[in-house]
Amino acid sequence: MRNALTIAGVELRLFLRDRSNLFFVFVFPLLLVLMIGLQFGEGATTGRVAVSGGDSALATGIVRELETDDVRVSRPAWDDALELLARGRLDVAVRVDDAAATAHDDGGPVRLEMVRGSAANAQVVEQDVRSAVDVLRARRGQERALEAYGVVADRVDDALSQAARATSVPVLEVRYVDELSKEFEGLGQFDLGASGQLLLFVFLACLTGSATLIQARRLGVVARVLAGPVSAGQLVAGEMVGRWAIGVFQGGYIMLASSVLFGVGWGSLWLSLLVLVIFSLVAAGTAILLGTLLGTEGAASGAGVGLGLVLAALGGCMVPLEIFPDTMRAISRITPHAWAYEAFADIQRRDGDFLDVLPQLGVLAAMALALAALGGWALRRSLARAM
Amino acid sequence: MTDDVLVVDSLVRRFGDLTAVDGVSFRIAPGETYGLLGPNGAGKTTTISMVAGLIAADEGTVTVAGQPMTPRTTGPKRHLGLVPQELAIYPDLTGRENLALFGRLQGLRGAALRGRVEEVLSLIGLADRAKDRSKEYSGGMKRRLNIGIGLLNRPTLLILDEPTVGVDPQSRHAILESVEALSGEGMAVLYTTHYMEEAERLCDRIGIIDSGRLQAEGTRDELVRLIGGVDTIRLGGTGDLAGAADELRRIPGVERVETERRSAVLTVKDAPALVAQVVGTAAAHGVTLADVEISRPDLESVFLHLTGKGLRD
Ligand SMILES: Nc1ncnc2c1ncn2[C@@H]1O[C@H](COP(=O)(O)OP(=O)(O)OP(=O)(O)O)[C@@H](O)[C@H]1O
Ligand SMILES: [Mg+2]
Repeated sequence: MRNALTIAGVELRLFLRDRSNLFFVFVFPLLLVLMIGLQFGEGATTGRVAVSGGDSALATGIVRELETDDVRVSRPAWDDALELLARGRLDVAVRVDDAAATAHDDGGPVRLEMVRGSAANAQVVEQDVRSAVDVLRARRGQERALEAYGVVADRVDDALSQAARATSVPVLEVRYVDELSKEFEGLGQFDLGASGQLLLFVFLACLTGSATLIQARRLGVVARVLAGPVSAGQLVAGEMVGRWAIGVFQGGYIMLASSVLFGVGWGSLWLSLLVLVIFSLVAAGTAILLGTLLGTEGAASGAGVGLGLVLAALGGCMVPLEIFPDTMRAISRITPHAWAYEAFADIQRRDGDFLDVLPQLGVLAAMALALAALGGWALRRSLARAM
Repeated sequence: MTDDVLVVDSLVRRFGDLTAVDGVSFRIAPGETYGLLGPNGAGKTTTISMVAGLIAADEGTVTVAGQPMTPRTTGPKRHLGLVPQELAIYPDLTGRENLALFGRLQGLRGAALRGRVEEVLSLIGLADRAKDRSKEYSGGMKRRLNIGIGLLNRPTLLILDEPTVGVDPQSRHAILESVEALSGEGMAVLYTTHYMEEAERLCDRIGIIDSGRLQAEGTRDELVRLIGGVDTIRLGGTGDLAGAADELRRIPGVERVETERRSAVLTVKDAPALVAQVVGTAAAHGVTLADVEISRPDLESVFLHLTGKGLRD
């Protein structure tokens, strides 16, 4: 065990010592988390709505309703609002003109001008605005009805809140217009990108490690280690643990840095770490297999990066799995990434507990065992053959 | 005999159709330096790989310090220090880190490890470069580090596989000196080379290997005696060399005389004992000698005699 750890320690040290790795390990993943967060993350947070027009009961009412829905609301002039919309700084602009304000106060039909931006989530935000207006209109209708029955205007509010407390009218709150948006509910802006990038980079970091195995064999240090009192099994275990440690290190760093820098929520820490630990083992096994089967460092790096990117793309690390068509989604299940992605989705978005992610963890563990066994066997065999 | 450090018995190793090592046997006593001398492809590295337990033998056995050596055993490997033919160091680790890593894998820990690493660093003359990555070392420094790693565990048997190939004369001299010093301290050494000067200088006994077979074995003098009296005396000068030749042939111990216009080459049993008589006889026949040259057979000629080819291709 000591020997295995010594060998693993060298792997980790060499990995961190390689200058060219530093950018890819420490900077690049965070850049991608940032980019993906900016691209896909908005729908998950609040929308941005401009409410134009002078102060009126209707305008302040809409603002209040939207703000309780966590929508960011601004009050620019209409022309400015349109320009902001065109520049993508807004999702929806609503114009509350005097006529609409008066109509609302009188309980008449209200006509509002609303313009939607082109951002992916503008539709969802538009729906937010519609439901805000609906709430206001319903309320205004109730007020008018009470007034018509002679309730004094000051007492209307009290009466309505009393009524609301007494009855439990089902509240239908339409917040998301499609399944997709619902999937991302509870997700911070950068959360989605972070888990995908974590999986992508953990796998890549391990796979590029397959080149160091080939280098070590080419340099003869592997033979030299075996000429000492170190068994082939210890060497294989050391190489495996070394790569696994690289994966866990890379993943742990992304978790830490993304939560500190971007406020990414990883849900239950120990569950997320468990996913990382098992996923890294899959990656380590793959790396050993690759490093044993391929002859040169160039081939190993090339194949490692290629395989890492393809598996990551298939497994939902670049484009979220949820927007995959069904066949692609089915294909994605051959990748460890997809299983780990789903485990993270459960943990991050739905407060999943151990039992919820047990199926995914089980599949990952099976993959890890199979690959680790295969990689270990292949390495041992090749050591015995070609020394 | 049982306290021999290494006993190699009838080793055979095949690679496909090629029998790289074909029935090699030899023994090394404690403190002895044994040379395996042979040309490229003779089977030296393959033999050593089996001795060090890196590859399995198809037939035959290796016993190190009384314990059988196979690729699966780790026990007897504690007694070995292997210095492979190709550099086997981590280029991205410093000299000290390389030593510390392999020392740890040899089972050294803590203060013992640190102490031994510093000792070896000064032994191989790298103490002042210990903090540099080994890829920044010169070729000779890398070779010395390569050797140093083999010394960490104070092996009973140090195996050096052509340690001086591609090394400048100065480093080469340093390497040979340190091998002599180690052997002086009682370490047994198995040394492969295709430089016969090195084998002659370092080795107590030498095995001549070619095409996977041990062709002959013994001390330098024993090997030379194997091929019989083939000293030569070469006379250069003017005068009646051809006439003197008949007289020279009559001297007991002279086996053959060949003459050219200005020289004669005598094949004799024991050149130093005969040279005075030879010179006298030639002078008596009016030959004016310009030079006299004695040459005794070396391992090169032994090798030529045994295999019909030179050591270097
Ligand atoms: N792994 C291998 N696979 C196939 N053939 C091999 C292998 N290793 C060695 N050989 C062959 O076995 C023969 C002996 O090789 P070996 O390396 O033992 O020679 P050597 O005496 O060390 O030569 P050199 O002085 O060049 O190092 C050569 O013909 C070589 O090609
Ligand atoms: Mg060799």
